Amino acid sequence: MLPKLFHITPSGAAGILFAAFAFFVVPTLAGSLWLSVFTSMGCFTLAIAGVAFMYARLGMVSLTQVGLMGVGGWVMLRLNHGFALPFEVNLVIAGLATMVLGWVLALPALRLRGLYLALVTLMAAGGLEIILSTFQFPNGGSGFWGVQTGSGAGFRRPALAQSPEAYLRYVVAMVTLAFLFIELHRRLAPGRAWALIRRSEAAAMAAGVNVTFYKAWAFGISGLLAGGAGALLAGSLGLLDGGTFRASESVMLFALAVVGGARFWLGAVIAAALFRVLPALLNNWGVDADLSFVIFGAGLLHAVITAPNGIAGQITEFFAGLSHKLSNKLGLVPSTVIEGSADD
Amino acid sequence: MIEVQNVTVRFGGVVALDGVETQFANPVSGIIGPNGAGKTTLMNVVSGFVAAQNGQIVKDNQNLMGLAPYKRAHWGLRRSFQKEEIADDLTVAENVLVQVDHSTLTSAHKSKDVARVLEIVGMAEQADRPGARLNSFERRLTDVAKCLVGDPKLIMFDEPAGGLSVEETARLGDLILEIHARTGAQTLVIDHDVDLIARICSETLVLDFGRKIAFGPTAEVLSDPKVKAAYLGTEDI
Repeated sequence: MLPKLFHITPSGAAGILFAAFAFFVVPTLAGSLWLSVFTSMGCFTLAIAGVAFMYARLGMVSLTQVGLMGVGGWVMLRLNHGFALPFEVNLVIAGLATMVLGWVLALPALRLRGLYLALVTLMAAGGLEIILSTFQFPNGGSGFWGVQTGSGAGFRRPALAQSPEAYLRYVVAMVTLAFLFIELHRRLAPGRAWALIRRSEAAAMAAGVNVTFYKAWAFGISGLLAGGAGALLAGSLGLLDGGTFRASESVMLFALAVVGGARFWLGAVIAAALFRVLPALLNNWGVDADLSFVIFGAGLLHAVITAPNGIAGQITEFFAGLSHKLSNKLGLVPSTVIEGSADD
Repeated sequence: MIEVQNVTVRFGGVVALDGVETQFANPVSGIIGPNGAGKTTLMNVVSGFVAAQNGQIVKDNQNLMGLAPYKRAHWGLRRSFQKEEIADDLTVAENVLVQVDHSTLTSAHKSKDVARVLEIVGMAEQADRPGARLNSFERRLTDVAKCLVGDPKLIMFDEPAGGLSVEETARLGDLILEIHARTGAQTLVIDHDVDLIARICSETLVLDFGRKIAFGPTAEVLSDPKVKAAYLGTEDI
């Protein structure tokens, strides 16, 4: 009757295979530059997963994500330079602190929807950009802000992941855990509540759903993922710069989440690849990396006009069609990849 | 017994409900009236979606006015909307399960209850189908199942027969008539289908321009000249 909590969908199986490939194969093949690019891509996959989850599950547009990443990164650097706690503890604290900030920012925004919510969250991102640019990121200095001129103090990476290869694996593992965390929510009461809220808030309330609570919960998860992403990025680079967390980047991140396909794990991966790998590729080929903005624009037009489920949606439909044809040919029962829209 | 006590709702200068007062005592009661009469507004007041300037809604000694809309659902209020509100990416069973997700019952109990109500409405076979793949009658039946699940005390249907065929409307009417015996809940039905109201509602409230113009046994109410005038615009009353 009701779907089992623990079951693997075709999309989930593909995700696990992809994660295994990214964990075992990619770090062994990539050079130092690409290790850094792929690690950064992993961090942004986490942040995009948060913004895409809000949009796909609740229809809410949050444009604060990169600002929240900055907050997570700030907390991670502050803890790293101020205390001798293990990396994992710092990571959890950074994620939780950003989650709380996400809730605080969400409180006035919870009554808003659509364009108004997007504008309020964008303004919050603008505020965070100013704060982060003004006070900069801790680099081992004294005092609350912890900023010193000249070269900063060293950053302690996780004991398990001292080398760039190991750190990429660490990030891949964290991103995989984050996707599983989102999927777990989707299969439980919060996921059902969010689906109904997206359908109609009145219908959700009539079904006994505390709309404010579940919206705040979603903001919190999105903040948690953004904070974790910022903290992991800080671990990758060892230091952060205010210019990385501009409000405009949040807009870009959201647009790419739509291009990639907000409903699918693959969509977040594609969006992060476009955001981080494509400019690096263009640079590598001697082409101006700003060309990537033209490609992003074309991709967005493509998504808006022909692919409402993004590139990942098109890939999923392609494989579902292929599976259907193969099943027919072999006389098997057709796959239900498309029918089971819950199998994202 | 559902007591509607002197309920008044104003939207700016428009009086949507003007001191409406009535008591529904029968298992299935109807609310009818021309468009703009205030029927859905009254249902929205009971649901908590519209705040009344004055008045109380009391059911089984519970004043609903002090409860948030979702808490009214927890208490046992169920309602369907003019358009079936089924989440496309949830299965039929999951759509029904949402209604009891807040409950402290075990998952096994909830699952059993969901299966029971889907059996009642005839949707057990489609339990695993996503909402996106249901036709409008199946969506309406899923809506009815949502109203039956858990421990409903008051169920409200807002134009449930809209867009349904004669056969589907008859099946829906049968289901609504079974509700009290199966759950003990009282049901309020708004519909423009007077035949459906006449068949399933023992008593009916008639609203016009936010005011109660008639209330009583449905057959008597429907033959009331004031009601005919409100519906047909007859001038010789």
